Amino acid sequence: MNRRIRELSARFGMPTDVLGRLEALEEQETVFVGTPEVMSFDAVRPMRRGIRFARIYPYSLKPTTFGMQVLGGQATRNLVELTDEQAKLLINGGSLNVKADVDNGFVLLKWQGLVVGVGFYKRPVLKSQIPRFRSVE
Amino acid sequence: MLRRRFPKAFIERYSQFIPDFDAFLDAMQRPLRRTFRVNTHKATRDKVLELMSDLKPEPLPWFELGFSMPENGDSPSEREDARYGPHFPNLGKRIEHFVGLIYVQEAASMVPPLLLQPQPGERVLDIAAAPGSKTTEMSAMMQNTGLVISNDPSPTRVRGLIGNVDRAGCLNVAVCRMDGAALGRAVAGTCDRVLVDAPCSSEGTIRKSAQALDRWSVATIARFPSIQKRLIAAGYLALKPGGSMVYSTCTVAPEENESVVTHLLERYPEAEVGTAEIPGLKMRPGLSEWGRESFPEAVGRCRRILPQDNDTEPFFLALIRKPVGNSELRSSDLQ
Ligand SMILES: C[S@@+](CC[C@H](N)C(=O)[O-])C[C@H]1O[C@@H](n2cnc3c(N)ncnc32)[C@H](O)[C@@H]1O
Repeated sequence: MNRRIRELSARFGMPTDVLGRLEALEEQETVFVGTPEVMSFDAVRPMRRGIRFARIYPYSLKPTTFGMQVLGGQATRNLVELTDEQAKLLINGGSLNVKADVDNGFVLLKWQGLVVGVGFYKRPVLKSQIPRFRSVE
Repeated sequence: MLRRRFPKAFIERYSQFIPDFDAFLDAMQRPLRRTFRVNTHKATRDKVLELMSDLKPEPLPWFELGFSMPENGDSPSEREDARYGPHFPNLGKRIEHFVGLIYVQEAASMVPPLLLQPQPGERVLDIAAAPGSKTTEMSAMMQNTGLVISNDPSPTRVRGLIGNVDRAGCLNVAVCRMDGAALGRAVAGTCDRVLVDAPCSSEGTIRKSAQALDRWSVATIARFPSIQKRLIAAGYLALKPGGSMVYSTCTVAPEENESVVTHLLERYPEAEVGTAEIPGLKMRPGLSEWGRESFPEAVGRCRRILPQDNDTEPFFLALIRKPVGNSELRSSDLQ
């Protein structure tokens, strides 16, 4: 398994069977994940293979919101459950003061049992890392 | 109802072969219902129904993952998407849309993948794919396995395609940006299934915007058949022996539909045309002639979705199979 995938699955306690069947590609400080067929397709040079999974920073690896929405469903650690109001606030780019039983650093935001995005926790502030899209109501 | 003024040439052309023509014109000027598809990469049908129960979405009778919004089922803050008229909720502002649990998609546009039936683990080519409604639908049908080669030559539209692939969580998609005909040659003989959702004069979008009707002309229609013929032939070339292809457009004009399929059958006489059927969805058979052109009998197995029949955009669909034992490429194919 790619070491970046291993690093994030360890942080979030994700079962390795979900991620084990995927392959990763690193390009311009970004990790992409996709099926083996996507990664080995070589008849032409695609613009994009699979989805953006993480961004590589010198001292950290930041998971993407869209990557975690689809792959974070079985995560068991570093999760924050949100109420409807908190979810809207964070999706619209806000931050919250919360006491959460998580490590400082990147956390997964769960709403209604679904991973909706990624946040950054520095006790007690939880900041949204969800890309600005358009406001939700 | 406000009657839009349809050009005389439009009436003359289409009254010749469209059944229930008054009902057709009425339907063409009614705003479209808002419809969406559940994205099974991210949530189950039941979960989405639970989260959206306030809007009371109604299931499409012919697709268990497709839903339409009842008129006036909105809360006041959600009124305002001009394209769909004031009475339809603006799904684009819902959390479910943002998170990618649903994909807002016109109902008829959900049909080509249902006809093509891509399977897990297969290699599928979507030759004209942006903004990705059908790529993301096929990716979900394939349960995020195998490979969808999703192509569009337009730089701006490819950006939207990549955004939708990310938002929908499609791990099995490779996005390409090139001419579909060149791509068809590059992957010749390797694809289990191919979708050619061709660029077209988009008469179907008249239901979404009055400007589409203002732009309508026979001259516009005449701009598309040459690229459509190139793409359908390239799609066929990309197929493995035994593979299948769907050719579709959101337009009514026979020049962009039956004539294009006829062109393929002239070039590849061994190509087989299957009956394009979706249980529960009313469709009309392909024409046997148009103007001075008569079409082979097999073209009658193509189908046209008319707006009055299922309250959708119009669409045209052809299901083509490449027979087994027909794997030889001619050198002219690759030029
Ligand atoms: C009807 S739209 C496709 C809609 C798309 N299949 C979907 O469901 O979201 C047709 C597309 O054909 C693309 N197109 C135009 N010329 C093309 C070519 N030479 N090869 C491939 N695609 C082309 C256009 O950029 C346009 O995005």
